[in-house]
Amino acid sequence: MTDVRDLPRAPGRPAARRVHGPRRTLLLLALAAVALLALIVTSVAVGEIPLGPVVALKGLLGLGERADVVVVQQFRAPRMAAAVVAGLGLAVAGALLQRLFRNPLASPDVMGVTGGASFGAVAMLAAGAPQALIPPAALGGGVLAAVLLGAFAWRSGAGVTRLVLVGLAVQAGLSAAVNFMVVRFPTELAGSALQWTTGSVYGRTWAEVGAAGGAVALALAVAFAQHRRLAVLDLGDDSAGALGLGTSAARLQILVTAIALASLAAALTGPVAFVALAVPHLVRFLAGPPTAATLALTGLAGAVLLLASDLVAQYLLPVSGLPVGVVTATLGAPWLLVLMIRQSSSVHRSAR
Amino acid sequence: MTADRLATHGLDLRYGDRLVVGGLDLELPGGAVTAVVGPNACGKSTLLRGLTRLLAPAAGTVTLDGADIHRMSAKALALRMGLLPQQPVTPEAITVEALVRLGRYPHQKLLSPWSAADQAAVDAALARTGTDVLRDQPVDRLSGGQRQRAWIALALAQDTDLLLLDEPTTFLDLRHQLDVLDLVAELHTEAGRTVVMVLHDLGQAARYADHLVVLKDGRLAASGAPADVLDAELVRSVFGVECRVIPDPETGTPLVVPLGRAARRCAVTA
Repeated sequence: MTDVRDLPRAPGRPAARRVHGPRRTLLLLALAAVALLALIVTSVAVGEIPLGPVVALKGLLGLGERADVVVVQQFRAPRMAAAVVAGLGLAVAGALLQRLFRNPLASPDVMGVTGGASFGAVAMLAAGAPQALIPPAALGGGVLAAVLLGAFAWRSGAGVTRLVLVGLAVQAGLSAAVNFMVVRFPTELAGSALQWTTGSVYGRTWAEVGAAGGAVALALAVAFAQHRRLAVLDLGDDSAGALGLGTSAARLQILVTAIALASLAAALTGPVAFVALAVPHLVRFLAGPPTAATLALTGLAGAVLLLASDLVAQYLLPVSGLPVGVVTATLGAPWLLVLMIRQSSSVHRSAR
Repeated sequence: MTADRLATHGLDLRYGDRLVVGGLDLELPGGAVTAVVGPNACGKSTLLRGLTRLLAPAAGTVTLDGADIHRMSAKALALRMGLLPQQPVTPEAITVEALVRLGRYPHQKLLSPWSAADQAAVDAALARTGTDVLRDQPVDRLSGGQRQRAWIALALAQDTDLLLLDEPTTFLDLRHQLDVLDLVAELHTEAGRTVVMVLHDLGQAARYADHLVVLKDGRLAASGAPADVLDAELVRSVFGVECRVIPDPETGTPLVVPLGRAARRCAVTA
């Protein structure tokens, strides 16, 4: 089988390739952790009453003056934590789906999962249900979207292109339903309209962050426990089956994990666009082929991107009150285009 | 040696409505190298998928030392039997060692860490296939022969007594074909593995196999030691080719020499 990969390559590329590796990934992990920490401190330090970084950090830990602690812990930290949790969940979900479907376009926003999650959450809100029911409702909505996707795209064992196209249709339909309900929201709920249509972390409370955050942590643990199976699935069904992996069951488990992560994130922030789609590409570009460490890096990078985007939306743009989803989409769309153009020659490698 | 005996009993294998292998009763000797040969689309690869549980039988059973493999757990079977598919999928940019490490999957529990035994098995598999010097190279940048050896190393790291190879020499040039077949022979003689492989070349099958299984249209045409089975009559009835079968001048095993074009024409019209 002589294909492109058997041809000699341009000199210089091997060296660039070899830099990828565990050490580089560790370095990137450390960088991402430092960046995340800096962003966390910044996000609780800035605001109408600016605090010094040390004061802000102490406030976050419950130390220092009582007034500062209240400002940091009650008003700023929940929003920050929501961005971190949602960024982690969305990015890891996107990485799982892209790897599972071997398609760079597979992501919870393209496949309708975040739209479904928003639909579930908004339906609950419109019905006047308590806050605690929002995460399970979002999860239900995400699963609903996945079931719709499966019913229309998978019935005839269809290819990935069809899956993505049907996913876009499901996403569009569910978004329309969300918009319809939001327009008809009672006035006291109208403020959360932006969250469910565009994605926003405005006005999150500890109760919401705690419920969704706990569930996201659990789903992340499951995702990492399944990483070995994901790596075996990469070998194709015959090899994976011969290694004793039940491929259908493993696929379904990983799919459900990814849907849960994306839905729970969306329960917190609404359908924040492009984090799940763009971050896994960015990490692959920087750190090379996927491993458990790059999955962790993907999560951290998602949290960094979402938190940084929220800070940009809050403080750096001339228009105040922009939802974070607008910023991620604005940043993500051109970035994704660049990546697609750069990688267009190498995304479709599957058969040896 | 009586272990690692694969057998089929009235085996039917189907893809949808199409019966690919029908009513096959087969007994593959343990502790030997078996070659499965036959014309294109005779069901060789399908048979291998049926023997490894990748394809459920429409009727009949497959047994390993008398136990129905479809009643065994997937992992339990993976501890006894490894498979190299015809066209394995190489994950993008994976290194040789990372690929071979995946062969340890059936030996690992959900959260068990990578053990010294796992690493020892991987090192042994790399050494035996001569890929230890390539361990940090990305598999998709290797030559066809190196890549095939890396994949065989994965199956070796799985550490099974029984190894099934689906056309391991396809797409390789002659030297690399012989490298792979020599490696298979060593696995049998030095490591005591039972090997079942699908081959295209009858001469190579006769040279390297102790036992030959000849399939035609999903049915057993012949089976036995190459010297007993392979003759001109069989080649004509199975492959539709007029030939002479002579002793291989190097090894004495049967060598199939097709008749010249004119002679074959005569035979067809006669």
